[in-house]
Amino acid sequence: MSDKNNPFFVGYLPVPGPLRRFLLLASVLVVATFLLTGLLIGSTQDEPPASGFRFDYGRQTVTGVIELTPYPLLRVTQGNDLIKPGKTLMLTSGGKAGVDMRAMGLEGQLATVSGIILQRGTIDMMQLRGGRQGLAAAEGDPPEMVTEQLGRWKVAGEICDGKCLNGAMRPGRGLAHKACANLCLLGDVPPVFVSTQPIEGSDFMLITGPDGTRLPDAAYNYIGQFISLEGDLERRGDILVLRMDTTTMELIDG
Amino acid sequence: MNQAELILFIVKLWGAAGALVAIPFLIFGIDRLDEDARGAYVFRPLLVPGILLIWPLILWRWYILADGKDEWSHRYRPRRHNHQWFAMIMPVAIIVIIVAGLSVRQSWPADILPERLAPPAEVSE
Repeated sequence: MSDKNNPFFVGYLPVPGPLRRFLLLASVLVVATFLLTGLLIGSTQDEPPASGFRFDYGRQTVTGVIELTPYPLLRVTQGNDLIKPGKTLMLTSGGKAGVDMRAMGLEGQLATVSGIILQRGTIDMMQLRGGRQGLAAAEGDPPEMVTEQLGRWKVAGEICDGKCLNGAMRPGRGLAHKACANLCLLGDVPPVFVSTQPIEGSDFMLITGPDGTRLPDAAYNYIGQFISLEGDLERRGDILVLRMDTTTMELIDG
Repeated sequence: MNQAELILFIVKLWGAAGALVAIPFLIFGIDRLDEDARGAYVFRPLLVPGILLIWPLILWRWYILADGKDEWSHRYRPRRHNHQWFAMIMPVAIIVIIVAGLSVRQSWPADILPERLAPPAEVSE
């Protein structure tokens, strides 16, 4: 049987005297524990750098030559105030989707693209508008584009999806972002390698499979983790493209 | 098919099966099981995400309730009975997940420099 002297808490009634101190102490402890835990976990994370959609730039429209690496790039030939000729833009679509299918028929041709820029430091990307408003063939003969071979390199760093790394998600990299990155990459968003140190002046490069193939299956297991790998590097405009050698991919200890 | 694609495929398959359960359940199944739901339709789309997640449980409960095997007095007992275990397991699991996550976390290998292994073989255009 219940003891009538035993205080019993009912949410909508005044708190019984003997329980007040306990309730106050428990409330303070719970709030303090959540605060402290949040601060502790937050302190283990790196500060995400300034990045994201640059809606403040407004919609950008430029023309250039489409190249498939196999991930589509636009080598800008007719730019604007913000995007100068000679620049190379990675292209993506809304959500977790790339523009491979839309760009496929335009390889090597002049095309006009329109969309919003994503930017993180020296790396950027354009999220295209839907349909022909975002990507359409342009009139004229495409100029010849030079690809500069930079040799074979051994690099260390991390494979991310280019869109989240550019600020669509923040921090957009690391182990906690692995599942999101894999979804983006499966949706054909261009993959990007983040190097520990700049290579030929750039910390970031588009990464592909060997011999111009898509990112190999084996790479998906290492997304968001720190790895070393070897590959052939090339420069296309102001962007580097690393063609990885899958057999050299290794997880870095520590 | 890599592991990421396999996981995504399984998730899509699970969701598609959930949709196949949700459609008949929300159109006529729920009317038979819950008299309060009869004539009420606006709330039904709100149940779709939940059904996509726990459709096997929906099917099981649908079968039990429609077959008259349900005993209302036992309806809530299993969950209440297990509350104490979940109350103990959940905070421990949260701590284990956080500690495991931090323990497998790598340090950014800033000391590893890029190394050029070979010069370009040729220049292409």
